[in-house]
Formats: sequence, C-alpha cells, structure tokens
Amino acid sequence: MATLETQQLDEIIINSRRKMLTLGGAALAAIAFGGPRKAQAQSTVNDNDILNFALNLEYLEAQFYNLAVYGVTIDKLPTPIPVSVNGGTAGTVTLSPTFAKVNFVLPNIRSYATETATEEGKHVLFLQNALSTNAVSMPSIDLYNSFNALAVAAGIGASFNPFASDQNFLIGAYIFEDVGVSAYHGAAGLISDKVNILPAAVGIHAVEAYHAGLIRTTISGLDALAGTTTLSTMTQAISALRSNLANPSGATTTTFTGTTADDIGVGTTSVALNGSSSSYTADTIVDCDSNALGWGRTTSQILAIVTDTAPTATTHQGLFYPAGLNGTII
Amino acid sequence: MAAATLMAGCNNSTASSNTASTTTTPTPPLDIPDNDILNFALNLEYLEAEFYLYAATGSGLSSTDALSGAGTTTVPAGIAAVPWTNSTFAHYANEIAQDELDHVRFLQKAITSNSGTPVPRPNLDLTFFAPLAVVAGITTTPTFNPFLSTNAFLVGAFVFEDVGVTAYTGAAPMIANTSILSAAAGIQATEAYHAAEIRTLLVAGATQANDQTYVNYANMVSALRATLGGGNETPLSATSIVAASSTNAIAFSRTTDQVLHIVYGAAGGAGLNKGGFFPSGLNGNISVTAS
Repeated sequence: MATLETQQLDEIIINSRRKMLTLGGAALAAIAFGGPRKAQAQSTVNDNDILNFALNLEYLEAQFYNLAVYGVTIDKLPTPIPVSVNGGTAGTVTLSPTFAKVNFVLPNIRSYATETATEEGKHVLFLQNALSTNAVSMPSIDLYNSFNALAVAAGIGASFNPFASDQNFLIGAYIFEDVGVSAYHGAAGLISDKVNILPAAVGIHAVEAYHAGLIRTTISGLDALAGTTTLSTMTQAISALRSNLANPSGATTTTFTGTTADDIGVGTTSVALNGSSSSYTADTIVDCDSNALGWGRTTSQILAIVTDTAPTATTHQGLFYPAGLNGTII
Repeated sequence: MAAATLMAGCNNSTASSNTASTTTTPTPPLDIPDNDILNFALNLEYLEAEFYLYAATGSGLSSTDALSGAGTTTVPAGIAAVPWTNSTFAHYANEIAQDELDHVRFLQKAITSNSGTPVPRPNLDLTFFAPLAVVAGITTTPTFNPFLSTNAFLVGAFVFEDVGVTAYTGAAPMIANTSILSAAAGIQATEAYHAAEIRTLLVAGATQANDQTYVNYANMVSALRATLGGGNETPLSATSIVAASSTNAIAFSRTTDQVLHIVYGAAGGAGLNKGGFFPSGLNGNISVTAS
C-alpha cells in the first residue's frame, strides 16, 4: 500500500499531467509547487473558457431531461431557455425519427426527471448569465445515434433508446450524471476567481452529485425490488466504458471496490468497516475512489467520454457532440 | 442535557411551514489555514463515521482511528446495529459507514502530509438525537433513537448529510492548495451522493408505504437546521430531492459558523463553543462561533 507521501506525490504528478494537457507545460512548475494564494496565473485557459465548457455539458443534460419529460427541446418550453446567444447560431438536436417523450409508469421517476430537467435548465441559464456576452450557443447535440453507439461500445445491446421506459431513462441519465460530477470537480482547480466563480462551480458540482446519487439509488432500488441485477449490470458496463474512454492507456487510480479505473457502477463490494477483515457487504451508490473521494477528470478526459475520441485528440467530435463543442475547450 | 437546554432556548417552531429556501450569502474566502479547515472537516467526519459505524456494526471507531487523546462517544443504552428491514438497507449503511471512515483516515493523512497535526476524535454525543427530535417537533419526549429501526436511521442520517454538503461547499473555495481543494471537492461529491441517497430512500419508502411520516420528520429536521444554520434548506418531497437554491439550482453553502450552530444545536450568536453532538466542542482552531 502506498504511503500518503507517495500518494500525494502521485496526485501532484497526475494533477500536473492533467493540467499540462490543458494548460501546456509552461504552467507546470507553478502548479506543482502551488502558486501564490488566490493569484494563480493561467495563461491559456481562463474562467470564461471553463464556464463555456460547462455550459456545453449543461446544454446536453438540459436537452436530455426536458425532452424526456416534455418531449420538446429547451427552446420550445413554455418558458423557453435560449440556445442561441450573443448572435451565435444554435446547433441542431438529433432525435430518433420515432422520438416520443418517456411514458413514465412510475410516478416517482417522472417526478425525479421533472426536477432534474428544471435544475439542468437553471444551470444553463445561470451559466449564460454568468458568462453574459461571452456565452456560447448550443452546439449540435445527438441524442439518437449517440446512445446506440454507446450501447454497442458498452456491450449492453445493439441499440438503446433512453426514452423508451422508466428504466431506460434511468440508464440514460446514469450515462451523464457521474460525468458531470467529475467534470466540475476537475474544473474547480482550474478556476482563477475564487470569490465569484469557484463557489458557484462547487455548488453546481454538488447538485450534479445529488442527481447522480438520486439516479444510482433509484437504479439500485428498482433492481432490489425486482430481485434482479439487470440495471446494475448495465451501469457497470457503462462505467467501465467511461473509464476506458477517459484513460485509453489504462487508469492509474484505485476505486472504492479495489479495481483499477476511475469509475464504478452500481453493485456491491466487501468492506471491513471498523474490523480487520472485509466481512461486510456494501453497496456502491457512490462513484468514488479508494479514499471515498469523488472523481475529478480533466477537460480532455471529459471530451473523450462525450465524443468517443482519444483524450489527446486535437479536436473532439462525435457521439453526443457530432460537430464538437462550442468555445475554446473543444 | 445542557445541549437540550441550549436548544430549548432557540426558536422551536415545529416546521408546519417549511419554507426555508432562503440563502444567506456565505462570507468570501478568508485567510484560514488549510489545515484548520481540514481539521474542522475531520471533526464532522468523526461524527458521521461514528454514527454510521454504530448503525452498521453496533460499535464505533477503533482507538487507532480515533487517534491518541480521543474523547469518548456517548451512545444510547443497549446500542446495537440497526435491525434492518432487509439486507439492501444494511448494504447502503455499510457503504456510507466505510466512506465516512475512509474520509476520517484520508483527512488525518492529508493534514499530516500538509505539515499539520490531525486532531483526535472529540467527545461526541449520539444520544443528542433525542432532545433534537423534541426541538424539531418529531417527539414530545426525548425518546427518538436512530438505531432502533431502518426508518429512524434514515431520519438520523438525514440530520447529517445535507449539512456535510453545505459545509464542504462553503469550505472548498477557501482552500488555498489546489490538491487539497481537489480532495475537498471529492469528499463534497461523496457527501452529496449520500445526501441524495438518504433523501431518495426516505421518499421512495414513503411512496411504497403510502405513509409520509418519515419524510415529514425529515422536513422537521430540515426546518430546524434552517433555523440554526442560516436557511439553506429545501423541503424534501418526491418532486424535490436535491437541496439547492430554487433560483439557480446551485447547492447551498454554509459558513463554519452556520455549521457549528447546527451541530452544537443552538441558534445565532457569537461565542458558542460546544453543545449538541459535540458536548465539549470541536477539536482544533475552528470551534467557536464568531457570529
């Protein structure tokens, strides 16, 4: 078992590598040894770049949940959420030719979806407002071919329609939420303005984790009620895929369950608690590492997951973003 | 019982109208040393770990994990692991207990690595749930015991989890070191997963049983937390799982003062240094309210 010193060194190295990907090597020395408090020089990525990156992700989430509940894109809601801002042109949203909103059978799941749709919409509006004249418009988003391709890649089927049932909706939501958590976590350390921007970012980070916890608990509960592991097994396949996309050369982190990855699905594992042997069975509602810390991912890793490209690609296009993201972190 | 007296002195309205979605703007970043913030967090993690470990196993932190010089933890007479409704709940509790124990161990190591000294477990009082339940309006006499049933456990867990989220959401931006900020964000996420889990289980259980009793109890706790901790609460229901501002869906944050008022079980004012779950106060440099 690594000592804390080596773990911290690893962390610094990993964080430094991650930041090198985003910032370039010039900033490395300053980061590795900690810049002066509240005065970090970040030459290539500014706070607006990061917020616009987040806005792209929120457009995706908001479209998914609002389409699931209301059957319309966010700009067609009774109180529309703008998708074209600052004179930009919004991309298109690709849906199945036979798209229909989710016919929720379980009232609680409809409620959860409705709440999440509202909250993701508010995140879009908040970020647009915070960015003001710097906000980007919605990029093109694919909610049809993307899920089919993901299903094949994860090995959960030849196709997948997240709007087909309560259960499918939960799996669709599962695909996004833990990624959102790791994206905001990774971005937090990049934010320069620790007074105005960072508190909002960590606040949204928590809400994404609430959403993830809600979805994962519900998936676990439905499986328990049905006496199956059908949904949990799918989450494990998706988590494995996400980890592989984010770490094509293999992850270097250890999960709560002891695997080498940066993602774990819903399932069970053995824990020792306050004893000396792993004799208790625990669920894995929380997507976390061996220290029970949630994951942080670099912007490059997030781009890799949402576009199914290599983290090192110069631009990322594909999967949920067929024409790439808008902004400077693309 | 001093704690109960303190709480009785505060506004003890019984949450008939839980409209506590107001926010108090947290103070901007202060020059608090990172290790003071980490030790503050460590105190909260001791409390959570102790609660969940007793619920899961019937016993608490090992003396190794509590560190040399640890205080004692007062527990309800005859305490044993919660008699879970079914194994699924045991698995949920076991997971959270391991997570909180991992957080204790992680913070201890992180403080040491950052050239600080982790504080030992302070005196803790897990019988404080009983007087707290009276002030919240859940019971008329101090009989509430979160270790006696699955539903009571969920209400007990509810007392802590959203507070943990708001504490980390408030503290993270104050952290100077980027690696420590990342670690704090990691713990914050885990606490938010937990909070959502507990809130979802309360709501789902109420739906299944067609009985809102324990959701109502949770909302009484929420109203009490709002009274003590500067608002920052969202009433729980099937249509409202996430605790966040209704304006922008950003999670609430609390100052260390607001968190101290909640865990000490007494409303506003400077100079509060102990009470509630911490009968001798927190260990470390952040233990007395400044407001």
